[in-house]
Amino acid sequence: MSVPIYILKRILQALPLLFIISVMSFTMLKLAPIDPLATLRANPAISAAAIKAEEERLGLNKPPVVQYGIWLSSLLQGDLGVSTSGSSVFVLLMQRAGNTLLLGVLTIFFTWLIAVPLGVWAAVHRGRWQDKLCSMISTTGMSMPTFLMALLLLMVALATRMLPIGGLTSPDFFERDSLGQVLDMAQHLIIPVTVLTFVGLAGIQRQMRANLLDVLRAEYVRTARAKGLPENTVIYHHAVRNAINPLITLLGFEFAALLSGAALTETVLAYPGLGRLTLEAVMTKDMNLVMASIMLGGVMLIMGNLLADILLKFVDPRITLQ
Amino acid sequence: MRRRLALFCASATLVTACSSLPKQKSMAESNNLSVASPDKFPNPGPFKLVTVNTDKSMEELWQSRGDTGHRGGTFTVSTFGSGPKTFNPWAAADVESDGIGFLMFEHLVDTDAWTGKAYGRLAKSIEISADKKDYIITLRKGLQWSDGKPITADDVVFTMNTLIGRGFGNSSRRDVLSVYGKFPTTTKVDNLTVKIHTDIPFVPFLSSLSGVAIGPKHIVEPITKKPMKEFQAFWDVNCDPKSLVTSGRFKLLRYVPGQRAEFVRNEKYGMVDRTGTRLPYLDKFVYAIVPDQNTQILKFYAGELELLDIRSVKGPDAALMKQREKTGNFTMHGLGPDDGTMFIMFNLNRRKNPENGKYYVEPMKQKWFNNIYFRQAVNHALDRQRIVNNVLRGVGIPLYTPESEASPFINKDLKPYPQDLKLASELLAKGGFTKKPDGLYDADGHKVEFSLLTNSGNIIRDAVCIIIADELKKLGIKVNYQPIDFNILISKVDHAMDWEAIVMGLTGPRLEPYDGANVWKSDGRLHMFDQRKPDSTGKIPVNDARDWETKIDELFDKMATTFDEAKRHKYCNQYQAIVYEQQPFIYLYTPLLLTAIKNSVGNYKPMPLGINYTPLGSMHNLEEIYFYNTQSKGTN
Repeated sequence: MSVPIYILKRILQALPLLFIISVMSFTMLKLAPIDPLATLRANPAISAAAIKAEEERLGLNKPPVVQYGIWLSSLLQGDLGVSTSGSSVFVLLMQRAGNTLLLGVLTIFFTWLIAVPLGVWAAVHRGRWQDKLCSMISTTGMSMPTFLMALLLLMVALATRMLPIGGLTSPDFFERDSLGQVLDMAQHLIIPVTVLTFVGLAGIQRQMRANLLDVLRAEYVRTARAKGLPENTVIYHHAVRNAINPLITLLGFEFAALLSGAALTETVLAYPGLGRLTLEAVMTKDMNLVMASIMLGGVMLIMGNLLADILLKFVDPRITLQ
Repeated sequence: MRRRLALFCASATLVTACSSLPKQKSMAESNNLSVASPDKFPNPGPFKLVTVNTDKSMEELWQSRGDTGHRGGTFTVSTFGSGPKTFNPWAAADVESDGIGFLMFEHLVDTDAWTGKAYGRLAKSIEISADKKDYIITLRKGLQWSDGKPITADDVVFTMNTLIGRGFGNSSRRDVLSVYGKFPTTTKVDNLTVKIHTDIPFVPFLSSLSGVAIGPKHIVEPITKKPMKEFQAFWDVNCDPKSLVTSGRFKLLRYVPGQRAEFVRNEKYGMVDRTGTRLPYLDKFVYAIVPDQNTQILKFYAGELELLDIRSVKGPDAALMKQREKTGNFTMHGLGPDDGTMFIMFNLNRRKNPENGKYYVEPMKQKWFNNIYFRQAVNHALDRQRIVNNVLRGVGIPLYTPESEASPFINKDLKPYPQDLKLASELLAKGGFTKKPDGLYDADGHKVEFSLLTNSGNIIRDAVCIIIADELKKLGIKVNYQPIDFNILISKVDHAMDWEAIVMGLTGPRLEPYDGANVWKSDGRLHMFDQRKPDSTGKIPVNDARDWETKIDELFDKMATTFDEAKRHKYCNQYQAIVYEQQPFIYLYTPLLLTAIKNSVGNYKPMPLGINYTPLGSMHNLEEIYFYNTQSKGTN
């Protein structure tokens, strides 16, 4: 099957999936005993009439099926609706998407840059101190709650006065020249990227190590060694290349995570990302905003998987697209 | 200044890790906080009106009362939260958006931070007619919107009659200004004078008026001609900052979503200092959005924020912060008690749920909760001082009455009492309860046991509930404590009504006791201890009010219509006495307010009566605030 037809087929397959995702998440949101108007209700200065008007504006007085219908039909017309505050959901998402993408891309870049060589290094020195050190680092990264690490790094930043405390830009950001702006953002990005990289490190590093160890036990590696190839050529030319294949599937998942954000880290670090926006929306049951975020996540996941499959095809000609 | 009640927002700090910091001496022990008082910042007296003549026009400006400073600098504050929802002050329904409205829009009147009395802001004078039904409000001459257009009576009439009167945005504003359901009429007298007429004399009207942002008619009017739905999107967070035409100290420069809102000086603001310099002094005011409270404190330590305003510094952090005062180059101020109150309430509801015919509260529990001796016994069994010392680390005071210590209307005759378990046991015996070795039993032989709820994620309330459960165990009462989500808690109180006991807080009126009417009147929408359901018209019918509830209703009505201060105090005292006896809310404590400001800031004079919504917060004189040295900003 040629690649374009394969892509088309996958996209067609994805549509019912997205529909099911939307029905499921809508149902779950509706079932959740969260009242989007709770804060208004708890505020004695808000009158009963105002609450009623708000219910009408948000369509909360209609049956859930009708609410879903309204949501779906406007989605099909390309309208994501308005958030509870009355602003366009699309604009709200767009404002944050860039920031989240920036953080996501940098995180993936650094995670892979560090994790893959580290995994190789650990596999090559299996059982020795290098391997143990790597496993210690990855275990720490895996077991440490992100918010705690974020907070600890903020404390380090406070003690050293070298890095800003949270946010993405300084208040004088718009008065700086473009180089200054880039440097300012880079400074602000160090802590969040470090936190997320450290957390993501473990999975890929261990995966890489395990893959490589598997490959190193394979017959053809023994053959390569037997025919007298230098160890470096065996490992880096033959083994690593083959060991990397399964990681490409992981890359697909990572792609999906690009736009979902990291709510806890973003909250602690006051980072203006999508994760925080979604979390806040869930807390206040901002239906349109939450639904848009979920659908965005769904689309990204499907796209990520598709991308991974196609990439695999290019990396490994033995794979056929079915 | 408007004093609205608003729930202490469930400050669900994500990080409780900080509570594991080394235990510090309680603030009670190391209590050397400088409490702001008239002695510390003497009352500067009323504002002086100065007239500035230019070739083209004549302007009447208020002259500031603080030290003379100089222009310049960027002042950064933050409030823990998710940022403003809108820049439209009439649509704002949350505290943050409301607070930002106070930065950008000047109101007709405000409350003096020293005396608590209303005085003119946009207005030059306010006269109240002899029959107390007419307010003649005269604007100052030469006032301008930030786009240079004059501010006139037309703007006031438009705001009152159209924006508020027709209920654009958050229609509660109309209801707050309405006098027994009727919205006052505003008429133009001349270009700078309006007359507002209320059908009956209504004392809280002026204080409600201080919460109304006057809008620029020439900008807002076109929107009001479109369908009302479009008003929500007008001046929302995605709007072009240049389209915002303001009258207040600052105007919006830009909004960086999720990070901050930046404001710049409104050059047309109608205030000058003694040397004639236009205020505000600050070039820029930045409102940083920090969703985590610990991060906020770290930002302050790092010099990224100039001020940690009220409610940013909580009891458990205060002692630690006090130790850093010198090295951190900042000063902490105590602003006395918060206007918020914390209480435990029992569900006194005796009705059946019309949907399923079942009682909201089990009949046997109804009997306990409606037994006054039971409530009084619980009241006397609580050790409020222990809560204050252990949970708030001394940054709070025990509370016994509905008006908080911050209110000038607190009834001083209602004396505090210490924990008295013996008295509590006697009261329970009087109420027909018997204590057996395995617990307390009522007259019908049921074991006394109830569930206690509060919102989860709040470590302070958590601890309070555990202490309460512990104290009541001594009386033989079994308390099943369960923290639940804030939203669910509210829906239980508001319409599900299937709860037994709840610990929660309300921020109360500091200056106007009538603002509590929604809570105290038996047809109130937040008459939480015995919430009645609204009918299809939205009115809440009452046909089973207890005698003391009816009495409180009457007292509130009298408080609303009596202009005589002494009589108002009398009515207010009476209602507090009823609550003190009946204990529908069993009050626990009021936190003390603390702020921390960098030493590089001049003219910061926080006063207990000069507290507003953040970001204005304790900076009632924000226009006068300046940096001693504008160059040094950000270098500490």
